[in-house]
Amino acid sequence: MRETSTYLYQNMNNEREAIRDVVYSTDPADFSYMAVNVPCQAACPAWTNVPAYIRCLYESRFDRSYEINRIVNVLPGVLGRICSRPCEDKCRHGERELGQPVNICHIKRAASDFKERGHVYLEQLFAPLGKSVCVVGAGPAGLAAAHDLAVVGFEVELIEALDTPGGMLSSGIPEFRLPRDVLKAEIDGILRLGVTLRTGVSVGTDVSVDELLTSHKAVLLAAGCYTARQLEVPGEDLPGVLSGLRFVMDVNSGRAPMLGKRVLVLGAGFTAFDCARLALRLGADDVAICIRGTEEDLRVTQDEIHEAKREGVHIRALMVSTRIVGQNRVEGIEFLRTRLEGTRSDGRRKAVPVEGSDFCVPTDTVIVAVGQGPEPIPAPGEKDRRNVLKGDPVTFRTSAPNLYVAGDFMTGPTTVIESIASGRRAAERIAEDLTGRKFREWAVRVQDTSVTDREREWDFIPRHEMPTVLPAIERFQPPQPEVEGGYTPEMAHEEAKRCYLCYLHYEIDIEACIYCRYCIDVAPRDCIKLVKEVVLDESGGVKRLVETTAWEEVNAVVIDNERCIRCGACLRVCPVDCISVSKMELVQRTLEAGRD
Amino acid sequence: MAGDHVVIIGNGPAANEAAMTLRERAPEFRVTIVGREHVRQYKPHLLPALVAGKITEEDLFVRSIAFYQHAGIKLRLGQEVVDVDFDTRRIILAHKEVLRFDGLIIATGGKPRIPEPLLVFQDVMMTLKTLTDARSWIDKLARVDCVLIVGGDLTSVAFAKTLVSLGKTVKFMVDEHGFWPLHLGDETRQEVARRLASGGMELVPCRKLRGLARLSADEIRVETDCGRYTVGAVGAFFGLVPDVRFLVRSGLYIEKGVIVDENLMTRYDGVYAAGDCAQVYHPTLRDYWVSIGYRNAENLGRIAALNLIGGKVRAETAPESIFHVDGVDIPTSWWAEI
Amino acid sequence: MGRVDVTMEVCGMAGDGTIAAGGLLNEAMSAGGFSVLGFDSYPAEIRGFGRCVTRSRVGTERILALVDKTNVLISLDDVQSHSRVPYLAWDAAVFFDSNPPVYVEEEMSLAARVEPGATLFAFPMADLAAAAAGTMRGRNLTALGGFAAAFSVPRDLFIEVIAKKFKAKGSRVLDANIKSFDAGYAYGLEHFSDRLRDTLKPPPGIKTGPEKVMLSGNLAIGRGALDAGLKLYFGYPITPATPIMEYLAARLPEKGGRVVQMEDEISSVGAVLGGFYAGARSMTATSGPGFALMTELITHGVMAEIPAVILNAQRGGPSTGLPTKTEQSDLHAAVFGGPGDSPRIVIAPTDVEECYRHTVMSFQLAEKYQTPVIVLTDFYLDNRVENLPMPQATESEIADANEYPDESVRGAYKRYLMTDSGISPRSIPGTEGFTFSATGLEHVEKGTPNYTEDNHMSMTEKRHRKIAGALEDLPAPVEYSRGGPLDVGVIGWGSTFGAILEAVNIANERGLNVGALKITSIFPFHGGVIRAFMNRCSEVLIPELNYEGQLANLIDHLHHKDVVRLSRATGVPISPSLILKEIETLALAGA
Repeated sequence: MRETSTYLYQNMNNEREAIRDVVYSTDPADFSYMAVNVPCQAACPAWTNVPAYIRCLYESRFDRSYEINRIVNVLPGVLGRICSRPCEDKCRHGERELGQPVNICHIKRAASDFKERGHVYLEQLFAPLGKSVCVVGAGPAGLAAAHDLAVVGFEVELIEALDTPGGMLSSGIPEFRLPRDVLKAEIDGILRLGVTLRTGVSVGTDVSVDELLTSHKAVLLAAGCYTARQLEVPGEDLPGVLSGLRFVMDVNSGRAPMLGKRVLVLGAGFTAFDCARLALRLGADDVAICIRGTEEDLRVTQDEIHEAKREGVHIRALMVSTRIVGQNRVEGIEFLRTRLEGTRSDGRRKAVPVEGSDFCVPTDTVIVAVGQGPEPIPAPGEKDRRNVLKGDPVTFRTSAPNLYVAGDFMTGPTTVIESIASGRRAAERIAEDLTGRKFREWAVRVQDTSVTDREREWDFIPRHEMPTVLPAIERFQPPQPEVEGGYTPEMAHEEAKRCYLCYLHYEIDIEACIYCRYCIDVAPRDCIKLVKEVVLDESGGVKRLVETTAWEEVNAVVIDNERCIRCGACLRVCPVDCISVSKMELVQRTLEAGRD
Repeated sequence: MAGDHVVIIGNGPAANEAAMTLRERAPEFRVTIVGREHVRQYKPHLLPALVAGKITEEDLFVRSIAFYQHAGIKLRLGQEVVDVDFDTRRIILAHKEVLRFDGLIIATGGKPRIPEPLLVFQDVMMTLKTLTDARSWIDKLARVDCVLIVGGDLTSVAFAKTLVSLGKTVKFMVDEHGFWPLHLGDETRQEVARRLASGGMELVPCRKLRGLARLSADEIRVETDCGRYTVGAVGAFFGLVPDVRFLVRSGLYIEKGVIVDENLMTRYDGVYAAGDCAQVYHPTLRDYWVSIGYRNAENLGRIAALNLIGGKVRAETAPESIFHVDGVDIPTSWWAEI
Repeated sequence: MGRVDVTMEVCGMAGDGTIAAGGLLNEAMSAGGFSVLGFDSYPAEIRGFGRCVTRSRVGTERILALVDKTNVLISLDDVQSHSRVPYLAWDAAVFFDSNPPVYVEEEMSLAARVEPGATLFAFPMADLAAAAAGTMRGRNLTALGGFAAAFSVPRDLFIEVIAKKFKAKGSRVLDANIKSFDAGYAYGLEHFSDRLRDTLKPPPGIKTGPEKVMLSGNLAIGRGALDAGLKLYFGYPITPATPIMEYLAARLPEKGGRVVQMEDEISSVGAVLGGFYAGARSMTATSGPGFALMTELITHGVMAEIPAVILNAQRGGPSTGLPTKTEQSDLHAAVFGGPGDSPRIVIAPTDVEECYRHTVMSFQLAEKYQTPVIVLTDFYLDNRVENLPMPQATESEIADANEYPDESVRGAYKRYLMTDSGISPRSIPGTEGFTFSATGLEHVEKGTPNYTEDNHMSMTEKRHRKIAGALEDLPAPVEYSRGGPLDVGVIGWGSTFGAILEAVNIANERGLNVGALKITSIFPFHGGVIRAFMNRCSEVLIPELNYEGQLANLIDHLHHKDVVRLSRATGVPISPSLILKEIETLALAGA
């Protein structure tokens, strides 16, 4: 279904451009197009409109760039520092012969860093509904849900067991990766909508879920994963063996434990890395992360691995712990070598122990960070075998009425951006369930774009790396600053130029094309094709272009948008001006009252 | 099968020995060597002698180009592999050429290791692995008198002696990780230190390099945890790491190098790895072992080739003593110098 | 000064800017003080599909010919460059784009075909150009930049010639081009340092003498005609002579002259005769098929003793033949073509400078000897470029060479007066008191037709005597040797002579005793000089680009034994190595 609205558009130069059509489409073919052609947005669990915010930043509209992020992600400044960046892995600019992906995340941080102090949020607040919802857990999922519920008109009570809100963001992630003032400012931005925050209240102990269900129309449990998984090897309870989760929480609340000189960290995720890097800052001489697989199996970003190594963390691969040894405290870990052997059912590689390969590594401190799980909060509703509430991944409902779950509490540990997306979607479902109406919908917005001022030279701008404190040794001196310094506005501007703006759609009008093939001559890669047939998929989108070299078989000259890097060379050279450019964006738009 | 294409990535002793073995035993195969450097195979352990002026470049080369042409080995120099797709058996070269292979031997050797904390100083440090490196050193040594050597791997010892013979002042900083993949005990390190000092070098007693800054084209300021001084050049000798970064996302098992079984085969049929770039599980060490040394590489190259054409030769994991420097000679030509 | 001798090629598809790149390369090398000889081959279509190859040989000593082996290949289209690989020297340098638009299979790869002794310089030409100038159009310049860095050619040499070439197109285009070049140059400095060659850094002191310019044979001819005071050009386009007409069409009107495109070659030569008849220096240029059409009127010029300058730029024949290939097979036609006993002057330059000189000379020869003068060049000579000081003509070289009748014969003027020299003073039509009739019929002194036996005999003899007398004004053969007896004497004409001289020089360096004789006066020829040379040679070798050995046919009777012919009808210039092989075979056989 498409609907069109026309309006006068005030462009960048403050000129009134002629009446333009803007089309909002919910056609599956268009969604399928967006999933393939704007891979960064498709990869983002929250569907952040990446090209749009990068373009705004290029135009030095930091506020607007920040806002575009905030529409789907309530914590842009935070995510701009610690996001796991699934978008960058899919960035077109990172295809082999095209160079390196755009530093999308660093640009997001720049928007947050340089927005005006007094800039105006354009939140579209709905009229109050006179109903209240309780959100348990003020981590990313809970915060995102609380925000959206408040915007839509609910009264929201946000309950947090720890003393400060933020969840893993405030208690798990070290300050050298995420300064607390950034987090606080963004949480304040959420609470200001009228969300009531109660900290230090543990649901299940201080107040029961049943009580909450009586005083609110719905309860959302977004309590995250705060139960550290055990290693389950003998010796795990020796003094000197620390739980990684506990360790980071203690350090972050100012109660850093004493560490020995040699530290072994077991685990392959962000927590393990945080522990290792913190250990160095606490004075350890020799810190190594020991993993079952190889570096390829680490579940952190490349930047993280790089910075950890720079600080002196060693990564020891292909080993699995069997026993922790020591008399009165830990003295070493016994390992077995592992060998890689195929993949598991979840797609992860399998590392199996090698018989007879036992060896011992001496150490005086062990930090275990092999995963976290949700705590089993007493509540009505069906539970799984670990006694944790089961939730439906689409509706977020539990089997108990009006009781919902979201975020890591529902799925097990994921990433911060996934949690935020989960919280939002849960809030949307709760709102629909409680009011019977939809408040927002996703649509593809299409508009003509007459000017694309990107220059071909920009495609060759080398990627700007994040300035960090160097040499790494400096990072350990008090006050142990934030390691990443952030881009300068100039660096951010230059990096923003690198984005191809994949939301642009170049199309040849077959009726007008004269088959001169000048466009193919100037194309920088195999992006314009002589096509004999276009194969469509079930949704109606383009699945495949069938090329031909036989001139008689050519039916059309077609721009393959999957290969197109939006350089504009074809547009400039076409002698009959048959190439049009439009902007296609996946946006969430507010539905006004009376609409379905 | 006749006409099958075997590609060897690398052009060092392992690669060439593999090629020669294939040529001998499987004349029906098409054999291609792809080497990144623009010159044919040469003996890297003679590079210090080249820098010392004791030999010429011609003395380094192992055999002539005509040899390869007569032997029917396609030698492709100055070309680099950037990716391998094992599903479709295709190799991608840096200049966007696709080479299809039936059999593959990865023999890319090692490249100079710079420990991560020191990567920030990479542009200021010089290594000695290739002929190009040696030429840079010759050029630099014509203008500087004082050189700092950091690390302490096998090459550094021979090179330091070379510098002393050229009348240069040599400061030597032994880094505890300098002998990777070997692990030095304290006594061993002291032994090494003693031998170095007796060779005319000044041993710098520091452990941590804090800063390196280029003051001018031939002046570098060095800052350590026990003092600072100025030298003309800094040499980084931290051993080699297998040169296999380009294979990281290809599906091969890579730890530091390409992991292979005792027949040097990777997880893919018909794909082998040999020489400094391969890691084999060593049951006595209980670790994945990287062989080092010219003769070891030749041997492994030969074994990989034999196995590729149907053999089942085991790569001998050499006795433990080779891998621990305890005053015992290691059969590599650099170390034997001491 | 170390000897430099490098052959370079730029190869690409039509539209890649190959020819432009080759041209800039030549200019830059010339600006650096090297001697340059260049020759391009390209398809006839304007925006076509076809291979363009520019070849340039560059050196510290005067370049005489092109050789078989290429030392540098700059590839702008790798598929087209496949055909050039067999010509690469074993240690050639090959430049190509490391980031083509699509992946290339091994069979289609240029890098896969090159022998391991070659050094590869792969770099992202199109991307560098796009990064520097926003478009990859300048990638031919980026390629030159990379090459310049690799071979230590000073950047300024290229910037100078790029600025000169693109000045007229405005600063934006010029800027983009310089940026494209610099992008390649900077890249080369950074990345090619492990395999730099310093071969093309101009040695100190290489630049001596007056400023040199790059000139093609055709341009030299056009320039010579202009300098000699050409007034009228009549012609019909034909490869490879058309550029002469184009050049003169642009410049002749400035000097008060006219260029008229006629309906065919017959009318062209007719108009030339008409022009000269009326007293104006006139000229036409054509090629084999066109020349054939002119023969009847040429003999008219012979019979009526009217000057004409006709340039035949030879190409592969017969008939339409091979329009873009070179050949020397019109000698017979030039000397003997046409009915009757019709002697005329035929001269043939051997290099670009001589193209100029012979063109200048032809007008005086035509006027003095009142005869068609045929200048024979060939495709290779017409289109190749050499660098040389801009040739100039002296006053005496361009002065009016007509012999006018004396005042004393006013009223009793005989146009075809019998004289010792055979030259009868001519008056320009319209000169009062000196009217005459001219005719293509046999005639008496007064010019009226006459067919009697004695008259025809004496008039024919007069015409022959006249032409024979031109020998004193025609350039004599030039010998290149140590003098004295020679094992092998190589005689040649036209563009082949360069290769001959190079082969002879190399043979002598190798210890043989060989000499070369350059013949530029094809008819009449200096029989005595030629015979004397031949007599000193144990063997005489005559290499020519035609099948029968047409010059050999003309002069072989002067030798007391058979001359050895090296006849090639291949369409491409004979290489020095081929001639050298023949020389060595003959010298050894004789030994």
